[in-house]
Formats: sequence, structure tokens, C-alpha cells
Amino acid sequence: MSLQYQAVQWNRQKRLYDAVLVGGVALYLLGFGAVTEFLFPNITEEILLMRAFGSAAFILLHIILCIGPLGRLNAGFLPLLYNRRHAGVTLFLLALIHAVMVVTTYHAGGDTNPIASIWVSSPLTHSVAGVPFQAFGFLALVILFLMAATSHDFWLANLSAPVWKSLHMLVYAAYALLVLHVTFGVLQAETSLVYAVTMAAGLVTVLGLHGLAASKEARLDRKINAPDTDGWVEAGAVADIPDNRARIVCVAGERVAIFKYAGKISAVSNVCQHQNGPLGEGKIVAGCITCPWHGYQYLPETGASPPPFVERVPTFQVRLKNGRVWVNPQPNPAGTRAEPAVIEL
Amino acid sequence: MSDDFYIGWEARPGAGPARRLRTLVVLLLVVGLGLAVALATQQHTIGTSVFEWGNLKPFSGRLELQPYPHLLVPRPGATNSQPGFSTYYLVAPFKHGLDREKFGALEGQMVTLQGTLIYRGDQTMVEAVPDSIHAVASPASLPTGAATVRLGRQTLVGEIVDSKCYFGVMNPGQLLPHRACAINCISGGIPPVLLVRPKNGPAIYLLLVSALGKPVNQQVLDFVAEPVEITGEVEWQDGLLILRADPQTYRRVGR
Repeated sequence: MSLQYQAVQWNRQKRLYDAVLVGGVALYLLGFGAVTEFLFPNITEEILLMRAFGSAAFILLHIILCIGPLGRLNAGFLPLLYNRRHAGVTLFLLALIHAVMVVTTYHAGGDTNPIASIWVSSPLTHSVAGVPFQAFGFLALVILFLMAATSHDFWLANLSAPVWKSLHMLVYAAYALLVLHVTFGVLQAETSLVYAVTMAAGLVTVLGLHGLAASKEARLDRKINAPDTDGWVEAGAVADIPDNRARIVCVAGERVAIFKYAGKISAVSNVCQHQNGPLGEGKIVAGCITCPWHGYQYLPETGASPPPFVERVPTFQVRLKNGRVWVNPQPNPAGTRAEPAVIEL
Repeated sequence: MSDDFYIGWEARPGAGPARRLRTLVVLLLVVGLGLAVALATQQHTIGTSVFEWGNLKPFSGRLELQPYPHLLVPRPGATNSQPGFSTYYLVAPFKHGLDREKFGALEGQMVTLQGTLIYRGDQTMVEAVPDSIHAVASPASLPTGAATVRLGRQTLVGEIVDSKCYFGVMNPGQLLPHRACAINCISGGIPPVLLVRPKNGPAIYLLLVSALGKPVNQQVLDFVAEPVEITGEVEWQDGLLILRADPQTYRRVGR
């Protein structure tokens, strides 16, 4: 959380995250390069770099795509999400180096403009060879560039969270394009089963994890209780909510996070204003609801970030009856105080 | 600090998240390194070819321009069982063939040039520095090409590659990832070659020409980098295998 924009709000854990990220990428590149040079000393250096950086980017994209659903399924993976943006920018840089090597090696030096060559130098035919796999890669790189260029919180704030989130959901389009890029490119040449199996395992893992996470959330959303005569909805037993934690319920189509803390119950929208993180999977820390994704904080009674911060989320009125929580499904404007319900012992 | 709840901006993670994180990082690094080794070892398209980049050498021989530019270099100490010359394909830098019109006046003459060797198997090519090609006084015995040997009509299945990349400038320089480059090269005048891999024995390279023996660079582009079947007349000329066939009769075949 910050009141002003900085290039990077460095802290110890971001530095560690980036050190591990860069170290991991370097380990992969060196491992791939050393083994290839040892086994195939005649390989052209440009193609070695092309393959090393391209495969590193594709593997990193898989890891990035898996972090989200893994974090929803098991909170132990959430630290990977904290600085995922730097992984995304790293992914773009790896892909850019791969693309520069491809353009300078395969497309430059001829009669055709190197960028135009991507589109015209591989004519469509009625065969696998005619599938424009390099064009798929180019389009994916454009998406990755847009995401990397707008990854800073400045763009998140100025584009608004929903627009920014929609833009960054294009990563799935980039992934689909890259699956086609790899399938109709290098997999048509390198026919080892290891390549095909690795590719299939990656695809199954990404799709499977997203399916599992979606299924978990769909189960949650299906638990809709009928409203009382005054429109309030019953949202479970107080005793089922752990101290300083929340229960997420779907009320009138919106997820609401109901927190139990300091002998009280408060309810806020489940959607963090920062990046739409699930507040209900967070925790009360120092009296504030703390988002599990990036640690953004809100006071449970008002849904407002503690001063001097300015983020706010909608609140909901709550009441207790016979040890059960009831929620008014009509949200209060973001940052509006809603009187917490006091738990009577 | 929150013991079991990770907050990125805290100075240090709690003991639980820190322990899980260490395990996760080690696991990711091991998987990453394992993938690097597995993907590197399973590359099967890298052959043995050489481009002596940065190593310019002088060459001299008889310049021939048909069907594609090549140099007949006298072979010292040749016996009767061997031809008296070696045949080197000639190409220009980057993705360009040697300009036949520019050097038309030198055809059949002894020339010297500076160039860089490219070789794979028994195929040798020189990337010539165009401005370095000059006619020189012909020696008493100018190497002459052997009589053309006709090997009959044959049907061959292989891949059309651009000879410059495949012989060594790029390794691997074949199949679909390299298709756009091969098309750029062939379009730019690099001789197209049919690469045939017999089940037993070394690869065979056939220069592709039309039924009339003319270059076919622009006509073969749609067939590059995938399996094709070509039926035509095969002949042996100046130490080069040549396949004469009309590109309209080329047939794409499945892998």
C-alpha cells in the first residue's frame, strides 16, 4: 500500500523474490545451454539462445498461470503471488529476447522487411506447414508487452481495477496462442516424446488447476440461503467462523466476507480494491482485514483503509440471531461504517 | 508479524510460511533444472555442420553459373579414380545467392575470391565476398567439368531445404521452425536442395532445377520444409547431383 507511485516499492521479501526468480531463470538457461553445448557442439549459437529463452519463457508462463489457482486451493502458495508482476515482466523479457533472436536469425538479411517477413514468409498451404505459428508467437508477445507495460499500480489505479483485470486476463489468450506457437512450431521438428509429454503435462496442469479452483468457488457460490421476510439472508453459524478469519458467502450474487474478530462480526465485499483479491481468505491483522494477495488492509467496520491510505470497499449490515449470522444483501457505499454485531457470550 | 499468514510487506514471513516457501522454492528450482536437462538432451535435429564464421579464406577456381553458381577448384594430387576438381557451391552473404547477371562475364573463367567455408557431410559451400571475385590468368590446364552422367528417371521423397542454412550457417536449419528462413533464403537466390534420407547410408542432396535445367527458386517456396515427393530426371554434373522436374509436379506427402 502506498500514497505515491514509485517504480518499485522494494522491501526485503520483494528482493528475495526477485533474487530467487532471476536465479531460477539463470539456472535454467545455464543448464539448458551447458547440456546442449556439451551434447551438440555444432548448434548455432543464435538457435541455442532462441531455444533456451523461448523454453524458459514458456515454462515461466506455466508457473505464473498456476500460481493463481494454487493460491485459491492452498494458502501455502500465496507467497508466490505477492510479487507475481515481476515474474510477468521477466516472462516478457525472456519472450522478447527469444523473439529478437528469431527475427534477426530467420527473418533479417533477406529481401523482405524482417517484421513483415513474420507474416508473409511462411505462406499458407493446405498442410501443417502452412499454420502461421510465428504469427501466433508475435501476437502473444504483443499481449505480454501490454501486460508488462501496464503492470505498475499507476496503471491499475488509472485504468480502474476491472479494466486492468480484464486487460491482464488476456494472459489466457497469450497462453492459447503460445500453445499453438509451440505445437505447430518446435514440436513439428523436435518429435521426442519428452517434448510432447512435457507440453501435454503443462496444458493439463494449467487447465486442471483452474478447473479445481473454479469448482471450489462454484460450490461456495451455489450455497444460497433463502432470504428472511425482511430480505436479510442467513449466512451460517457464528461458531463456524474462526477467530480473526472470515466465512465467504454468496449473497444476491455478490461474495461477502464475514469476519469474526474481537468478539464482533462485520461484513465487507470479498473483492479487494487493489487487484480484486479475495478478502475473505485474508486475516485480521492489527485490527485490519488484510488481503491475502498483497497485504492491502481495511478496517472491518468501515471497509476503509486506515489513514493515510484511501482504498475502500463496500460494507454490509449484519445481525446475530440464535448464534447465526444474518446479512443485509444491500451493500453500503464503499467506506461506509456498518455497526458490527457483538457476539454475546 | 503474523505466524501463519503471509504478508509480503512484512519484514519477515512467519515461521510456517517461511518453511513452506523454502520447500516450494527448492522444488521449483529442481523441476526447472530437470526440465532444462530433459529438454536439452532430447533435441534430435542438430547435425554436424560447420560455418567458419569470421574466417575469410582465399579460393581460386573456375566459375560456373549454371544451374546455380559454383566453383570448380583444382584438386592437387588427384588420381584417375577421382575428379580433378572439387565443387563448391557459391552464395553471397546473408540470405542472397550470388548474382549471376553481375558475374555473367566471368562464367567459365578462372577467378579468385575471398570467402567463408560452409560444409556438411560431402557438401561444401563458400559464402563469397562479392567484391572480391576477380578473373585471373587461366592456368594451362583449366579445370573442366566432367561429362554429365544421366542416372535416369527417379521418384524421391525428401525435404526441400535452403542449402546455405542446412549445410552449416544454421544448425538446425531444416523443418518447420526454420521454414520462413528457408523461404527467405531460397527466394533470395540460395540454391534449393532436396534432402533425402535413405534408411541406410548417408543423406543425399539433389539440386532442384526445372525440367529444362533452369533455377526454380520462386516455384518451390510453397513446398519448403515439409515432406515432398518429386519425380524427375537425376543427373550428375560437375560433382553435383541434380534433379530435373517441373515444380508443378511436386507432391506434398504426409510425415
